[in-house]
Formats: sequence, C-alpha cells, structure tokens
Amino acid sequence: MGGSGSRLSKELLAEYQANPFKERICRVFSTSPTRDRLSFEDFLDLLSVFSDTATPDIKSHYAFRIFDFDDDGTLNREDLSQLVNCLTGESEDTRLSASEMKQLIDNILEESDIDRDGTINLSEFQHVISRSPDFASSFKIVL
Amino acid sequence: MEENPTLDSTAWGSSNGWLAPREARGASFPSAGRSLSSVLNELPSAATLRYRGPGVLPWGTPEEEEEEDGGRSRQAFAEATQMELQDPHPSRELPWPMQARRAHRQSHARDQLVHGSGPRMDQLARLLWRSKEKTKEGLQRLQPWAWTLKRIGGQFGAGTESYFSLLRFLLLLNVLASVLMACMTLLPTWLEGAPPGPPGLNTSSPCGFYDPHSQGLVTFDTQLFNLLSGEGYLEWSPLFYGFYPPCPHLAVTYLCWAFAVGLLCLLFILHRSVSGLKQTLLAESGALTSYSHRVFSAWDFGLCGDVHVRLRQRIILYELQVELEETMVRRQAAVRTLGQQARVWSVRVLLNLLVFALLGAAFYGVYWATESTVELQETPLVQETPLLKLGVNYLPSIFIAGVNFVLPPVFKLIAPLEGYTRSRQIVLILLRTLFLRLASLVVLLFSLWNQITCGGDAEAEDCKTCGYNYKELPCWETLVGQEMYKLLLFDLLTGLAVALLIQFPRKLLCGLCPGALGRLAGTQEFQVPDEVLGLIYAQTVVWVGSFFCPLLPLLNTVKFLLLFYLKKLTLFFTCSPAARTFRASTANFFFPLVLLLGLAISSVPLLYSIFLIPPSKLCGPFRGQSSIWAQIPESISSLPETAQNFLFFLGTQAFAVPLLLISSILMAYTVALANSYGRLISQLKRQRETEAQNKVFLARRAVALSSTNPAF
Repeated sequence: MGGSGSRLSKELLAEYQANPFKERICRVFSTSPTRDRLSFEDFLDLLSVFSDTATPDIKSHYAFRIFDFDDDGTLNREDLSQLVNCLTGESEDTRLSASEMKQLIDNILEESDIDRDGTINLSEFQHVISRSPDFASSFKIVL
Repeated sequence: MEENPTLDSTAWGSSNGWLAPREARGASFPSAGRSLSSVLNELPSAATLRYRGPGVLPWGTPEEEEEEDGGRSRQAFAEATQMELQDPHPSRELPWPMQARRAHRQSHARDQLVHGSGPRMDQLARLLWRSKEKTKEGLQRLQPWAWTLKRIGGQFGAGTESYFSLLRFLLLLNVLASVLMACMTLLPTWLEGAPPGPPGLNTSSPCGFYDPHSQGLVTFDTQLFNLLSGEGYLEWSPLFYGFYPPCPHLAVTYLCWAFAVGLLCLLFILHRSVSGLKQTLLAESGALTSYSHRVFSAWDFGLCGDVHVRLRQRIILYELQVELEETMVRRQAAVRTLGQQARVWSVRVLLNLLVFALLGAAFYGVYWATESTVELQETPLVQETPLLKLGVNYLPSIFIAGVNFVLPPVFKLIAPLEGYTRSRQIVLILLRTLFLRLASLVVLLFSLWNQITCGGDAEAEDCKTCGYNYKELPCWETLVGQEMYKLLLFDLLTGLAVALLIQFPRKLLCGLCPGALGRLAGTQEFQVPDEVLGLIYAQTVVWVGSFFCPLLPLLNTVKFLLLFYLKKLTLFFTCSPAARTFRASTANFFFPLVLLLGLAISSVPLLYSIFLIPPSKLCGPFRGQSSIWAQIPESISSLPETAQNFLFFLGTQAFAVPLLLISSILMAYTVALANSYGRLISQLKRQRETEAQNKVFLARRAVALSSTNPAF
C-alpha cells in the first residue's frame, strides 16, 4: 500500500460513467501533473470525502472545487451556468433557455453572494451549504 | 490616469455600487503589467485556499507559469504552509491528498515528541470527543436494516428512505411499549396467582351480568369470526382490559404503564424531531436560499446507471422550471387588480366549502356506521350469515378505509384550481388528508362515547344506575379495545390486499402491454406522503387502544414488521423512482410533528376515560372504583408521610405558579438573545460588503500604480 501502485484511468470507474461531474471529480482528486489519472490513494481520498463520516467542512470544500469549472477559486457566472447545464443535461432540449438561466443565476447570486462581488467564494459557499439540510445526504457515495 | 480615489457616495449603497466590483473580476487591463484578477489571486486568502499540502501541486495552477508570478506565488504558498503548521488541525480534517496528510501527521507527531505533549485539557477534550463519536457509531450499527435503507435511499431518493426510517422508529417505540407492558401488567397479573374467570350469570349485581364466553360447541367459522372481531374466547383473555383481576398493585402498575408509555413515546419523538427542527430553524428563512439549495445540493453523487442519471436530470430541469415559473406567478399575483383578486378568493371559498361538505359527509357516514352496527347486529338475517355478521362488525373500519381511499384523490384534483403555487398546494393536500384521517378516528371515538355514556347525560334511563350504559355494554373498555383491534387488523388486511391485488397485477399486466400506454399505466410511484400518513394513523390507533387492549403494541410490532417487508418488496418490484422527489428535510421536520399531533389526539380519550367515565363494575382491574384515577390517591395515602406531603405539594399552586414564571422568563431571555444574534448577523453582512468593495478598490489602485510604474 502506498507508493505509486496501479493507476486507474477515469474510463475504468464504472460508477461514474454516467455522472456528469466525472471529469471534474477526476481533475479535483488527481495528484498527477497531467490531472487525468487517479492513483489508488487518490481513489481512497475520493471515497473518504464522499463517505458518511467526512466532516461537512471537507465535503463543502471539495464540492466547491468540483463546481469551480475554471479553477480560479471562485464560482462566477460561467461556472454557475456550466454547473446548471451539467445538472439538467448537456443536450439542446434539456437546457434551460437563456433568459431562464440568467434569472436563475441572478437569483443564486442574490441569495449567496454576501459581499456582492459577483462571485461566490469558498466561505460564502460553505455558509449557504451549512444551511442546506440535504447536502450531506446528496454528497455521498455508498459502494 | 489616476483612478478616482474614493467611490462615489451614491454608488456606495445603491445597487449600482456592486456592478463595478462585479465586473472587476472579468476585467483585465490590456496594458502591460498585471491584471486585476492576477492581483486578486495573490491575496493570502486565495493562496491558502489553493494550498494542497507540501509536495503537491496547488489547485488551479496554469500549465505554464510566468516567471515573475511564479516567485510570488511560491512565497504565498510558503506563508500558507507556516500558517498551517501552527494551526493544530487533526490530519483527517485537512482537504489535502493522502500523501500530504501523511507527511503532516508525521511532522506533527515529531513536533509533539520534541515539544512534549500538548496541554492536558486539549488532549482530554479530544479523547472525550473521540469516545463520543465511537459510541454514536456503535449505536448506529445496532440499528437493523441500515444497509436496506441506504440502498433504498440510493435508488429511490431520500424521501422514500425517510418513510422506511420512520417505520423503523415506530417499530422501536412499539417494541419498547410491549416490553414495558410485559413487565408492568402481565407479570404482576401472574404473580398474584391464576386470574379468576368471568363473573358469569350467577353474580347478582345492579349493573347486570357479563358473560363473554359462548355456550356449547363452537363451530370453526364462529372461531374465525371471534378471532377477527375479538369476541368469544378472545374477549376474556390478556388481550383485553376486562381480563385483568382487581388487585390494587396491578391497578397502580397498569395505570403507571399507560403514563410511562406516553411519556417515553413523547421523549423519543421530541428527540427525533429536534434534529429536523434545528436544521429548519437554522435556515433563517428557507425561502431566502431556495435557489442556491436547489442547485448546490441537487445532484445525488451516489446515482449510478444511465437511466437513473437521465431521470434525475429531467427531474432537476422540471423542478427548476417550476420554481422559476412560480416566482413569475407570485409576481403576477402581487400585481393583481381588485376584481381579479375578488374572483380568485371567491373560487377559493367555494372550493373550501366543497371540501368541508365532503369531509362532513364522510364524518356523518362514519358516525352512522358506528351507531347502526349494534342495531344491524340484532336483525335475524345478519345473525344467520357469519360473513354478513363479520361485515356488519367491521362496518366502521370499512367506512373509514373507504373514505380514506376515495377522498384524497378528490383533494388532489381540487387543489390546482385554487390558484396557489405548487408547493403550497402540496401542503394543503397533505393537511386536508391528515385532517380526514385523524378526524374520522375522532368521530368513531365520539360515537363510541355516545353509546357508552348515553350522550353524556348521566341522568338518562340506561346510565343512571351504574354511570355507563350497562345493558348494552357490560364491559365498555373491552368494547373500545375491540374496535381498535378491528381497525388494526383491517388496516393490515387492506394493505396486503392493495399490494397483492392491485399493485403486483398492475405491474405484471401492464408489463405485458406493449407501447407507451402500457408504460404509462404500469409506472407506479411510491407516494411518500400518503404512506406516511397511513403509518401515523395506524400508530395513533394503537396509542388510543393500548390502554384498553394491552397486547395491542405487541400486535402492532408484528404488523409493522410484516409491513416493512411488504412495502420493501412492493417498492423494489413494482415502483419506479418518483418524478417529483419529496425533500428529505421537509420529511424530517413535518412527519415527527404530525406524529406528535397523533400522540396528543390519542391522549384525549385516554385522559377522559381515566378521569371522567366510571369503570365497569364487572371487569377489569378498576372494578368497584368511582373512577380509574381514584386508585392513585388511595395508594398515595399508604406511602410514608414525607412522600405524601411532597406529592401533594407538586399539585398545589405554590409550585405551579413559580414554575410558570420561571419558564416565561427563560423563554423571553432566549427570544431576546436570538434577536440580538440576528442583528449582529446583518451587521456583519454589511461589514463584509464594504470590506469587499475596499479590497477591489485597493486592487484597482495597485494595478493602476503598477501600470504607471513598471518597477512593481
């Protein structure tokens, strides 16, 4: 155990084949320089974060990372719109219309962006998540 | 090229004030030098966020780093490392990959060896916390069916899982009640020696005679009838109240058992609802953050399989569109003209009148059924056919079940016409169905009371001698127990019948039908609110009946066990994941509350019969007393002097009034504290906004200065 071990490429993780966040999960948990492979230890980290016993802080930290599509440390409008597209499906007929998307993102920023800088940073995200009772049960993988 | 040194005072507070900072992140000065976003990325808070532990690439590192930026960011990371090493977080709670955490733990252990063990209080606190976690984990593992519940939650959603979790909780309550019953009623009964038989025909008593045993040879179908309606050999058995002998010790423990079970159930339900309440109260107002919650907690990461994922995506899209549409509807409703409002409200009043009329008709039907059961049983036709006799006996249960089956779909049809938003419609439907279920039980109890006490008239012909209707009901407690027993059995039979005769055949037949019609008719969903209300109704029946039928909690345990496996089988074989998920948070808050309501409703007939209705003279442990409660003062008078004085003191005003005063003071203090916290929160929020504006302003100045002075 430990060391380099075998390397699992993201194609082999059958659980997440259909998960729309599979690329983000792989990228967030990977420690390799090319960020496209998960070692066994990375996989253990993933399972530990998604388990029942992980603290809400850790879960919200990693959730923030997964939702931050451009890796800039904050959730801006593009991140949010990409997030919503992942949630509803990528194809044309399953997307929200542009006006609906704008209204939705405006509402989200209105609710969560406390310092009114147009983006949601980690502490604001954690503050919103701490008041959501469903988060812990949805950010969970049971093998 | 100097930037405006201060933001305009007009822009400070108005909404335009944030347009400037909002676009700040995206703006980048095309000139040489650094952009605003790169300056903001160098802030120490951003560096600590991106830090991922020693030896690991931080998050968000671009593929190629510029030379000047590289030096600066490495410095920021070094500072972050220092901060991290000083802060003694346990390695488990750091959001770092495993190799970094291992290195951190090793260095931490080395530090501890060097500097000696940390402060004693710290270690003690950590040890205490860890042992608490271990005991919690141990208790969790004791709970049965944990794996089944997880699987159900993963496949059908958290709402369905909450139904099964509630079923498991009620099973626990019933098991506890049965164990208490065995210790406090069955054991004393047998310790006193073999209990006497029924009084029979020989006793001369002003209150008539009571002979529950049937004469002569009993045919098989009569035996079956007796089993299903609690008469015959079951009537004088530990199942019902009438059997228990009139020993004073037994009387005291019997009464104490009833109160102990009520108190225990109350404590457990409160304990369960506190966690749900905490989360609902913590959200200062649920409506204020509904969009964020819907987007950030929407995805269930445990979903696997293409079909489930696509279904969930469709659900999320549907919910978001409904939510956005509701906001528009609400906005439209706010600008309605007076004429339109009058029209909407008149429609609502009409529909509510219709609902009341339907409910009134249902309750009258239940009342009539209970009243006419006794008369119908006397007709010779009914006496001949045992099946008809059984049907007449079960008439109240059949009526209640029929009404509960027919009216809720009618409510579901009426609700959309009232012009409320969808979430409010769901709450209205739930409330109406709940009222229907609990009130039909109340009407049944009311008509029973009518029969027993001759309509509350103590001077009526039948009730004058003994205080209750002794001619028709020589042992009225057993009658009440029998009615509850019949309700329980009928509930179980209907559950089995619906599953076996409707749900399974529907799935099988519609699976054979080709095409979309077959698929449409064949998809069944697990209706969580309806099922939960049925569960709560069943538990309320048991609570009402357990004083008069002590073995009822035991029967209910068996029933709930059967129900668990039946529902699980039905769920996995016939149901598909719901199109509209019932949110688990609502479930955790709403259902224990309704359970409390059921407990409160069930305590009313119990307290009424303990204090106000004279017990039967011919059966039960309280025969011969003026009221059931009268046993307690008698037993208290046999206690020592000091205990008596203490117990009497608890009932006086000198104890109650100071208690009330102290509780009111505590409540006022808590409310004031909560208000001051709320004010503090809004103050801090405002402070945060101004700090963010300061930060952006300073970053802009830095950019402006660096572009004028390339030395930076």
